[in-house]
Amino acid sequence: MSDRVEAVKKLFTSKSSRVETNKGDTYYQDLFEKCEARLNEMRAQTPANKLDFTDLLEENGIDRREFMKWASATTAMLMLPPMFTPLVADAAVMMNRAPVIWLELQDCAGNSEALLRADGPKIDEIVLDIISLEFHETLQAASGHQAEKQLEEAMEHFKGKYLLFVEGAIPMGMDGQYGTIGIKGETFHDHLVRCAENAAAVIAVGSCATFGGIPAAAPNPTGAVGVMDVIKNKPLINIPACPANPANMVGVILHYVLTGQVPELDSLLRPKFAFGYRIHDNCERRAHFDAGEYVEEWGDTGAQNNFCLYKMGCKGPMTFNNCSIVRYNEAVNWPIGVGRGCIGCSEPDFWDKYAYERPMADAKIKAPTGGVEKTVDEFGLGMLTAAGIGIAIHAAASAVAGKRENSGESHE
Amino acid sequence: MERSYKQVKRMTPAMRIIHWVNAICMIGAIATGLYIGHPYYQTLIADGAVDKYVMAWNRYGHFIIAIIFDVTSVIIAYLYFFSRFEKPYKKLIPNAQNISEFKAVLINLLTLNRKKEFDSSHADSFNTVYFTIFHILLIWMLLTGLQMYVHGLGSGISSIGAWWPWMLHLVTDWTIPVTGGTLMDVRIAHHITMWLIVCWVVFHIYYQIWRTIFWKEGDISIVISGTKFVKE
Ligand code: HEM
Ligand code: SF4
Ligand code: SF4
Repeated sequence: MSDRVEAVKKLFTSKSSRVETNKGDTYYQDLFEKCEARLNEMRAQTPANKLDFTDLLEENGIDRREFMKWASATTAMLMLPPMFTPLVADAAVMMNRAPVIWLELQDCAGNSEALLRADGPKIDEIVLDIISLEFHETLQAASGHQAEKQLEEAMEHFKGKYLLFVEGAIPMGMDGQYGTIGIKGETFHDHLVRCAENAAAVIAVGSCATFGGIPAAAPNPTGAVGVMDVIKNKPLINIPACPANPANMVGVILHYVLTGQVPELDSLLRPKFAFGYRIHDNCERRAHFDAGEYVEEWGDTGAQNNFCLYKMGCKGPMTFNNCSIVRYNEAVNWPIGVGRGCIGCSEPDFWDKYAYERPMADAKIKAPTGGVEKTVDEFGLGMLTAAGIGIAIHAAASAVAGKRENSGESHE
Repeated sequence: MERSYKQVKRMTPAMRIIHWVNAICMIGAIATGLYIGHPYYQTLIADGAVDKYVMAWNRYGHFIIAIIFDVTSVIIAYLYFFSRFEKPYKKLIPNAQNISEFKAVLINLLTLNRKKEFDSSHADSFNTVYFTIFHILLIWMLLTGLQMYVHGLGSGISSIGAWWPWMLHLVTDWTIPVTGGTLMDVRIAHHITMWLIVCWVVFHIYYQIWRTIFWKEGDISIVISGTKFVKE
C-alpha cells in the first residue's frame, strides 16, 4: 500500500522535462568553491594512467584557443555559468583520474563505436580516450582468464570509486541464459549486479541499456530490460539515444569529476542538461512545420527545399534530446539535418512506438484485441462503421415495426 | 382519436447555447485535430514559410476550441450540481428509481418503441448517463491534449508565468503511465478517443432523431426551442 502511495506521489511530483537554467548566485558560488576544492584534491592524486591530455591535444593539432572554446561550450551545455569554464578545462585535463569500467551486454557496440570514431578524434573523443578505462571487453587486449582477473583487480582497486558504464540490455528470459559472459558462463544479469555492487555510480549508455531498446522491441524474445529495471540501489544515470551522443557521455563524466555528484535528472533518470530539450523546438525545419510545408515523399521538391519531415514520420514533437543543438560528430550534422525524420531514439519503447517512419495516425498499432495490426484511423473508422451498421439495423427495424403499428392502428 | 399535447420546458437558453457551442467546437476540433495528426491538405499559398502558418493556425484553432471546451465543461459541471432548472446529478445516483428508469428507456430503444413505460416529459436517466460519458471523454481529451501541449514548454517557463507548465505537469503527467508509459502513447490515446467521441456523436444524433420520429413528442425541438410536447 505505502508503495502505491509513493508511486502516486512520484507521479505528481516528478518534473518530466523541465529545465532549471538558473539556480541563483549563492548556489553557483557555493558550487564553485566545492568544485575548486575537489579539483585541488584530485590534482594531488596520481593519475590512473599515463596519458596526458595536453600532449594528446597537441598531437591531434588542437590548439589552446580551440580547447577553451570547447570548454566554454561544454560549460554552457552543463548549464553552468561562464565562470566555471576554467574549472571545466581543468576537469578535462584530470579525466585520467576517473576510473571507468565499461560493460558490454546485449547490444551492437554502437556506443563504443560512437566514442571511438576514427576520423581524427575531436576534443570530446580525446577526453573519452584519456579516461582511465580500466576494463572494456571490446577494446582491451586481454581475454579469457586474464580479462576476468583484470576486472577483479580494477573493482578491488577502485572499490566505491569507479563509474560503471553499461552498454546493452539485460535479457531476463530463461533465467538470463540468453546472454552469458566469461569462462564461468555468468549471465549478463549476474555480471551487472556484481559489477554494480561497488560502483560509485552506474551510467547506462544507449537506448538498450536505458530502456531495453531494440532487444526489448516487440515481441522481446529474450525478455530484455534496461539497467534501471535491475539496479535499484545505486545512483543511476541514463544516457539514451541510438547511439548515445559522446558529448553527453563526456558531459556526465565531467560533471561527476567536477562536482562529485550526478547531474540533475528528469523522471526517466536522464540528465536534464541533455534531455530537457524537445527536438521539435530546436529544429531548423520548424518554420516549415508551422507553415504546413511538408516533404511528401523522399526526394520531392519539398525534400530538396528542406521542408519539415513530419509527414515522413518525424517524431521530433514527442522526443526529448539535445541532438538538435549539439548535433553529432562534433556538431557536423544530425539526422534531421541530413533530411530524414527523428525516430525518437531517446524515448522508451522507441522501436515499437516511434520508429515507424510515418505519422502516428498512419502507423500500424496493435488493436486492443491483440494480433491484428491497424492504423489508428482504420481502427477508428472500423468502430464508426460498426456503430453505423448497428444504427442502420435499428433504424430499419424501427421503420418496419413502426409501419406495422400504424397499419394495426388503422384497422381499429 | 384526438390527443391534446402539453408543452414542457426542457432546456434553458444557457443550456442550448452550450449545446450548440459544443457541437460547432466538435466539428472544429475534429477537422483541426486530424490535420495536426496527418496534414491532409497541401498549403497552396505562394508565400514564404515565414508568413503563412497553416499548421500553426490549425494548432491555434485546436487550442482555442480546447479552451472553449474547458470553459463549457466547467459550466456544465457546475450546472450538474447547482442548476436551478434540473440538476442532472440527481439522475446519476444509482438508486432504485434511476436504475429502473434507465432499464425502461433501454428496453424502449431495444423493443423499437413497443414498450414505453416511463415518463418522457423530463430528462431521463439513460440520456443523462450517456451525456455524462461524453463529458468524461471530453475531460480525457483535455488531459491528454494538455499533456501533449506541455511538451512544448520544456523550459519550464511560459508567457504567462512558470506556474502554467508547473500546473500542467502536475495535473496531466499521470496520463503517461496510464496510457502506456511513453509520450507517444498519450498521443495515440488522444487520437483513439477522438474516434470514440465521433461514434458517440453519431449515435447521439441518431437517437434524438429516432425519439422524435417514434415518440411523436417533438424531442428534436428541445435543443432548438428548449421545449417538447407530451401527451396530456
Ligand atoms: C479538450 C481539450 C483538447 C486539448 C487541450 C487538445 C490538445 C491537443 C494537442 C496539444 C494536440 C497535439 C498537437 C501537436 O502536437 O502539435 C492535439 C492533437 C489532436 N487532437 Fe486534440 N485537444 C483537445 C480536444 C480534442 C477533441 C475534442 C478532439 C476530437 C474529437 C481532438 C482531436 C485531436 C486529434 C485527432 C489530434 C491529432 C493526434 C495525432 O494524430 O497526432 N482533440 N490535441
Ligand atoms: S522536421 Fe521534425 S522536429 Fe523538425 S519541425 Fe518538422 S516535425 Fe518538428
Ligand atoms: S533526431 Fe531523434 S532519432 Fe535522431 S538521434 Fe536525435 S533523438 Fe535520436
